[in-house]
Amino acid sequence: MTAWQRIKANLRVVFMAFEIELRQSFTDAFVLFGIIVQPTIVAFMALWMLKDQVANYAIFVVVGSAMTGLWTTLLFQGGNSITGERWTGTLEPLSCAPAPLRAVVSGKLLANITQSLLSLICCYTFISLIMGLPLTIANPGLFAGSIVLTVVAFIAFGLIIGSLFILNPDVQRFQNGLEFVVYIFSGFLFPIALLPMWTTPFSYILTPYWAARALHAASSGTGSDGEIYFCWAMLIVFSILYAIVSKFLFKSILRKAREDATLNMQ
Amino acid sequence: MSAIEVINLQREFQTTIGVFNRKKKIVPAVKGISFEIAGGELFGLLGPNGAGKTTSVKMLTTLLIPTGGTAKILGLDIVNDAEAVRPRIGFIFGGERGLYWRLNATDNLRYFASLYYLDPAVSKKRIPYLLEMVGLTDRADEKVEGYSRGMRQRLHIARALLHDPEVLFLDEPTMGLDPVGARELRQTVRNLQDEKKTILLTTHYMFEADALCQRVAVINKGEIVAMDTPSKLKDSVNDLSVVEIEVFGIPPETVEKIKTLSMVENVSVEDRDQLQLLLVHTSKGAEAIPLLISELNGLKLGKVTTREPTLEDAYVRLVGGE
Repeated sequence: MTAWQRIKANLRVVFMAFEIELRQSFTDAFVLFGIIVQPTIVAFMALWMLKDQVANYAIFVVVGSAMTGLWTTLLFQGGNSITGERWTGTLEPLSCAPAPLRAVVSGKLLANITQSLLSLICCYTFISLIMGLPLTIANPGLFAGSIVLTVVAFIAFGLIIGSLFILNPDVQRFQNGLEFVVYIFSGFLFPIALLPMWTTPFSYILTPYWAARALHAASSGTGSDGEIYFCWAMLIVFSILYAIVSKFLFKSILRKAREDATLNMQ
Repeated sequence: MSAIEVINLQREFQTTIGVFNRKKKIVPAVKGISFEIAGGELFGLLGPNGAGKTTSVKMLTTLLIPTGGTAKILGLDIVNDAEAVRPRIGFIFGGERGLYWRLNATDNLRYFASLYYLDPAVSKKRIPYLLEMVGLTDRADEKVEGYSRGMRQRLHIARALLHDPEVLFLDEPTMGLDPVGARELRQTVRNLQDEKKTILLTTHYMFEADALCQRVAVINKGEIVAMDTPSKLKDSVNDLSVVEIEVFGIPPETVEKIKTLSMVENVSVEDRDQLQLLLVHTSKGAEAIPLLISELNGLKLGKVTTREPTLEDAYVRLVGGE
């Protein structure tokens, strides 16, 4: 198999995993509640509270809450789907198939992110129309570009997190802790300038931070185009870096899981 | 060159005991097994639960890394060449896990076909062919959650054959199936053998190994205790006869007492609805019956017969009545 054929075959695996994850989600009533009912309630409450605020403040909160939703979906749905594979006994055949497990996990993450993003966009648009509260995006072109890079960056970040779930099901215990750490250090709900100075380097190495900054700047119009492009560059650099790290991480973690016999729930 | 070559393969598991003062404990599951399987051979690995059969198969399918010894599949090392081994093997593990229950059979197979890099044009033809082969064509569009255990097991076989592997590992494929389902599955295994696949089958059903396998290895407590053709293993118990006595409500202490009789080599009890079948391995044949009946004095008895030993009796002798 040539390198180009392998890339094509791996992309096919990513899209197949994407399709399978979505099909499975749409047959699960709990997941449907999480992506339709719950976001509608949250969007309604958020926009009700923000109806008297200035427009760019409202969009800041909406984008921030969308980012938290995205990260929570990635962490919980993505992580739990790997644990679910372990419970159903499918992690073993996935792990020793010729296709890299990273391709499968990427497809699953893409499905989780797409699902979360579409649900949030639809819910906020629907509720804002009902309430007659327009959510104006200052720079739609840069906002759309930022969303695409955010999806890529979250997949790359999710690959690092996902590999930990493959190592051991006990990682689930730390899910809540991980959820809030990223909320805070990525500036989803408030600027990181409010945090102590020494925490800033942690924020800079997190792709969700650059994603949040780009999306906030593009949506509220509070940042220059140059600042948004800089965030894009950082998103691309860190996404590549994460992808490279995840390749080695998956290799060593899969070996460790085969040594420790943790691919199956005994 | 052998299709499968196993040399002194070992696997230990680490576990912890205690709550506050936790201590690590090493549990040996496979203690240095060695065997070779020729290309196109159907080889059986027999043993009781916990003997190390599944652990051995998991090592050979690259799912577990051995703690000692080596093994080669088609000349490729299972640890160092794991990525090269994987496209050339197929495996199924007994039970119902390992499938996506909320998807139908076709979607399950489409997914795994992509994982094995099957060209979409190839998988478009291969999937209906395999569904036909395992008798699932009519139910292919139904969710797996509605399938019987036998249907799921047959879908497992279809999954394992998607990429047309040269070597197949079947770990207790008929476990939990009804007699008809088990018979159909055995026929599928025979068909695979006709296609010259190399097959390693693990089972604890002796008649299954007897009917299917060209050679068998008996594994007990992580060690191979015998390896030969089924007929030669049966020959090893030619000196024995088996006395079968139907008895109602035999107490465990009576069984223990019979075990201590000098002419008795092994005793086992099988539950048969209202009664138990006492199986006694003895070198005395029918001569042992009067003494055995005297030991069962006071108990209601049914039929008493003697028969020639089977592969199962050879197995019982090898694994010590377990």
